[in-house]
Amino acid sequence: MLKQPYPTVMKPYGRALVDLARKRPEILCLTGDLTRQTEIDLFQEQIPERFIHGGMAEANMISMAGALARRGFLPFVHTFGVFATRRPLDQIINSVAYPNLPVRIVGFMPGLSSPGGPSHQAIDDVALMRAVPNMTVVDLADATQIRAALPSIADIPGPVYLRLKRGEIPVIFEDDHEFSLTTAQTLIEGTDLAVIASGMMLSSAISAADTLTAVGVSASVINVPVIKPLDADSIIRAVSGVSAVITAENHSVIGGLGSAVAETMAEAALAVPLRRIGLRDTFAEGSRTASHLFRRYRLGTQDIVDTAWELLRREGRSPRVQAAEAAEGEYAPV
Amino acid sequence: MMTAIDALTTTRYADVIRLRAVRMVAPHGFGYLGQALSSAELFATLYSRHYDPGRDSLVVSPGHYIIAAFAAAPEAGLLDVEALATYGFDDSMLEAIGTERSPAVDLTGGSLGMGLSGAAGLALADRLLGRSGARVFAVVSDGELEEGQVWEAALFAAHNRLGSLTVLLDANDSQVDGPVSSITTLEPIAAKWESFGWAAFDVDGHDTAAIDEALSAATADPRPAVVIGRTSTKHGLSVLPEGADGHFIKLPAQLAEAAIKELEARLA
Repeated sequence: MLKQPYPTVMKPYGRALVDLARKRPEILCLTGDLTRQTEIDLFQEQIPERFIHGGMAEANMISMAGALARRGFLPFVHTFGVFATRRPLDQIINSVAYPNLPVRIVGFMPGLSSPGGPSHQAIDDVALMRAVPNMTVVDLADATQIRAALPSIADIPGPVYLRLKRGEIPVIFEDDHEFSLTTAQTLIEGTDLAVIASGMMLSSAISAADTLTAVGVSASVINVPVIKPLDADSIIRAVSGVSAVITAENHSVIGGLGSAVAETMAEAALAVPLRRIGLRDTFAEGSRTASHLFRRYRLGTQDIVDTAWELLRREGRSPRVQAAEAAEGEYAPV
Repeated sequence: MMTAIDALTTTRYADVIRLRAVRMVAPHGFGYLGQALSSAELFATLYSRHYDPGRDSLVVSPGHYIIAAFAAAPEAGLLDVEALATYGFDDSMLEAIGTERSPAVDLTGGSLGMGLSGAAGLALADRLLGRSGARVFAVVSDGELEEGQVWEAALFAAHNRLGSLTVLLDANDSQVDGPVSSITTLEPIAAKWESFGWAAFDVDGHDTAAIDEALSAATADPRPAVVIGRTSTKHGLSVLPEGADGHFIKLPAQLAEAAIKELEARLA
């Protein structure tokens, strides 16, 4: 793993999709009027004959993608996460998920990373997609993983919801990083606390573990890129040996990673104290900057540390997170 | 009508909207200025001659246009002009894309294509509550016509004879990926609405006299009515570069200064 602040790259997904589509002629690229924002301007330039402009009409685009998949195509549908999951939910269920068709729904700008207010913040997309039978739900953390994951995502026989950050994408993992659709990865081993994270919160979890380790709290970090189907075995293993568990997700605490982990722990009868870091059943107003919202709604690294401190009943004030200074073109979590 | 509005000609009012919008976007360096530039005359004419906030309801369907409603609001007594300076900043009530707490309008939102259904609901509520004479004005954008929900609302409004409903359609041929016409063929727009049972008026959306005349005819017609304003996201601001992105205009400090100078000179 690289150290914070992370270097960033632009359009790793867009490049990976073009590369994959050159080898896979059945891949189609659909856009809902957010072409550059979802990195597929590269596809539009390089493979225009397989680029389809659906316009701002998500319901039509999803049902149409289902029919394209019935005829052997592999449609990748792109828009922001909110518009990909909320408006066309009925179409996703009936035109794609129920017939179990290989449509890939790619939703950008997750959770509080949008400056566009509640209408643009995908805070419930994981919950909605998790509830849909046949759907695989993937929330990726960095550029290396995006490139490594895309071929295996393309091979999943049923529908997939892929959740991606917009804009500058951090590079957390080295080039030799191996991605698995079936195994959650323990990135840091620890014995007191397990921090289980996905997507944009992975870097915060790593930073929180570093802060805690420095004061003698042994914290593990588990990366869960595939939220459904959840790798229950790895979660149970990670949770079994520790005194406390924290989940961290850039999403509502209802229905996402935290819920999935809680369900797994409860069904395995693992009575370990659990706290979920995420948006606490509220819409997030007042946004110009993502960092402001992450702080205001308590999705920061310090919030993970404070929660761990309280959960482990440590004495005194929790240690302060020394946030890495991110220069232009670098990324560090709030 | 209010004296504050009478003091301004409608054309001048449109430029006041433009100047305020430039000042609201300038501190951020970019924003939804194109929406204000294209709809300035539509808002100015509506506010100065037709919309009575005490009686009517106003829906701004595309929340990105809330900048224009905010900029127009002080003359209608709906917002203090000082509040405009907070637009788009962290924790401001005036979020850049309209939210549930946006002041100065009855309904707005950032997920496009929902506003006309809301407007139909408000018109239906007026009827059920016996509020005769109350009107509902809905600002809708041409890009939104790509969403099916708009046409569901249009069918409902005509079938239920919601004659108090008037749509101001800002046909600026702009959406995120480029000109609307390059992505989806909407024409003939007026004939589509007419075939759905609406009265339709197709006008130059920067000609305040034409808009005024169309709004008078629209509100007099017993059917729900749409005033289609043909507009440009660069209108009234010659300093903008030729290729400026109408959906999200970049406005660096120097360009903002030139824009303010141009508009102040015209208003002087």
